[in-house]
Amino acid sequence: MTASMAAVAPAVVKLTPSDVEIATRAADHFTRIYYSTYDSNTRLNDLPQFYRPSSSLVWNGKPFQGASGLRELMEKMPVTKHEVQSFDCHPIPGTSPPSLLVSVSGSVTHGRGPAGNPTNTTSRNPEGHPRVFSQTFMLVPDAAAPASKPGEVAKYYVSADALRFVG
Amino acid sequence: MFSSPTPAPGSRAIASNALRSAGLIDRDATMRDLTDKPGGRKASSKIRSHRPRLLDMKELRDPRLRGSSSAQAGPSDPLTIRGAARVKLRKSLPGAAGPGVAPRVKTKFKAVELWKEVVQKRWNPETQFLNLESLIDDELIKKHNLAPPGRGGDARDAAVIFKIASQLKPKVQTLSLADNNLQGAHLQFLSHYLPELVNLSLQNNNIRNIKDLDWLASRRGRLQHLRELILLGNPLQQQGMQLENGEKYRRDITTRFLSLEVLDQVAIAQIAFDRPGPSSTPAERPSATTFPCEMGPSFVTGVDGSIVSNFLVRFFNALDTHRSALIDAYDPNATFSFSANTTIAARARVQGFHTSMPNQTKLTWRDWLGKGSRNLARINSDFDRALKSLHIGAEDAVKALVALPATKHDISGPPEKFCLDSFPVVHGQGMGLLLTVHGQFTEIGTGGIRSFDRSFILMPAPEGSRAKLNGWDVVIVSDQWTVRVYSSHEAWKPGPMLVQALSREEQEARNAATTTAPQPSQPLPLPFDPQAALASMPEPQRNLVMQVCQRTGLNVRFSIDCLAGNGWGLDRAIANFEQVKATLSRDAFL
Repeated sequence: MTASMAAVAPAVVKLTPSDVEIATRAADHFTRIYYSTYDSNTRLNDLPQFYRPSSSLVWNGKPFQGASGLRELMEKMPVTKHEVQSFDCHPIPGTSPPSLLVSVSGSVTHGRGPAGNPTNTTSRNPEGHPRVFSQTFMLVPDAAAPASKPGEVAKYYVSADALRFVG
Repeated sequence: MFSSPTPAPGSRAIASNALRSAGLIDRDATMRDLTDKPGGRKASSKIRSHRPRLLDMKELRDPRLRGSSSAQAGPSDPLTIRGAARVKLRKSLPGAAGPGVAPRVKTKFKAVELWKEVVQKRWNPETQFLNLESLIDDELIKKHNLAPPGRGGDARDAAVIFKIASQLKPKVQTLSLADNNLQGAHLQFLSHYLPELVNLSLQNNNIRNIKDLDWLASRRGRLQHLRELILLGNPLQQQGMQLENGEKYRRDITTRFLSLEVLDQVAIAQIAFDRPGPSSTPAERPSATTFPCEMGPSFVTGVDGSIVSNFLVRFFNALDTHRSALIDAYDPNATFSFSANTTIAARARVQGFHTSMPNQTKLTWRDWLGKGSRNLARINSDFDRALKSLHIGAEDAVKALVALPATKHDISGPPEKFCLDSFPVVHGQGMGLLLTVHGQFTEIGTGGIRSFDRSFILMPAPEGSRAKLNGWDVVIVSDQWTVRVYSSHEAWKPGPMLVQALSREEQEARNAATTTAPQPSQPLPLPFDPQAALASMPEPQRNLVMQVCQRTGLNVRFSIDCLAGNGWGLDRAIANFEQVKATLSRDAFL
């Protein structure tokens, strides 16, 4: 891995394979811990830790502001179970260390799923079945939280989060 | 761009710290000659598969499924591990040699008790460190001729020890299994019994294959809190370090262990998150039975809606008809990739789209998967594919786009079929735009329909840039395209959403209410401003649109669509109009 911290100039910075490697691993780790936190019983305290007061969220077309906005949203959210089916991540060109664009596609079950439907629900009724979700994050380095461990590039947080149910 | 991993001088690795402070370590233990321990390799090599057999795991959990060994052991069985009866003694103990059931039970019981004693003796509850280094040299083990895993004992023997370790209080955080001649298979039950392990030393063992570590890998849902791993002195590490400066070896490990911070006492360059710890404060299970809010319409804020709609109209027209023209729309350093999510959605399945829509069965994923789908959930441990499928620079992006199946996005059709959200984001010194679009397209070759999600990071096109000179107000910095099995756009229909299906009575009540009070029509998700669309176009295209408007009486929107659908050929567009004009609705005209 090449040292490139010297090139702090905000001008055009070329992405290196090492950038891609670090970004890819970060996205893999992030999607795992984010959705396992989302689906946990401790989500109300734990999920906002990924956000900051300046974070922008749009949940199915409704805007929320910051970690507190997320908390407000999560307070009224039914129990969830996410399954990530695909995700992708790019280091966004232009800043150093680069911000990340992460998009996730998967299924999410709310409440008790089909088992929680009234007994006379017809088999063709899609309600209660898992939905498809599409969620896009912009992850950015937190300038106020300098690296605390050897090897740590920076601490990243969710600066933008756009979610839609899409199926 | 990321800083390189420089282990801070003097900052010692976590496990090594724990090892030292535990005061139990035999730091001078040297690597053993593996050949002088007959039986060690033989016993463990019985297990060839890299995955735990399902049956084994099931039997571990379900006492009813336990095999003959436990039946022999009877109800006083101290450990519910199948095969525990076979805990090996290196030589038969006096009194255990006789045939029959009773002595075996006694032997087994004794062996398990002895292992408990060994574990207890090597456990430091203050540092939460269990030191199982070099078991063969343990006085107690020597005295009783126990066969430690790797020295005659197999994976089941190891499982007995791990299970004993799992019962320690507080939980084991650091475990050293150094100097035990262990192979990969010996580790197969480790993550089952000690899932919250933080530091693990496997130094000086006999781990040869990277796949052996899949028993432990967090990518497979195991050891999700592992921060430090030591593999020094294993053939895997020794051989790995001889190739490419060890880069591939380290990458193979770090892509498997996502939470790992230190490997072989060298820090890993990585991005950290404020993640919750392994045991957060217990909280109540969420109890809401409704959603926090209704499904909202497309949400665009902080930006002139026409900028977004002009961009999308032009982008999708070019994508459908003239992909190479998109080179103007991407920043010279832009990133692009596409991912296939091939899962058939639960609701789409229930609604039977696959069979009820005419061309869905003709669709295959071959063309998408073969052209470099970057679904990292599928390919992440293959770094070369992850690198190759990320297209950097406008030329590479467009080259990749051109190679993909031809598409038709019906953006001038029913607006409810598309949904978009867009808001400003800070990027570098300026403001960018995060734009997400969800919708559907027809795959031209088969006529089948797919759903898609697209996430863009857009920046204002700089003055004098190729984008600006070609009439693009914004330029694409990053573009991720997810292609999915078709799901209905009903998913984002604005209005209330249900968590569970309504009962028949509730449904009837709701139907009655909606017939008496009709819902207001939904706002257009894709606002279309003809003046803005024209203004954003390059001069020649704008002239063509004006000519079509004049000659056909079509409005701007339909003129653009007609031209775009005919490759921007004026004569073809007019001819096409003459063919279909009788079928056009009134709102197509000025």
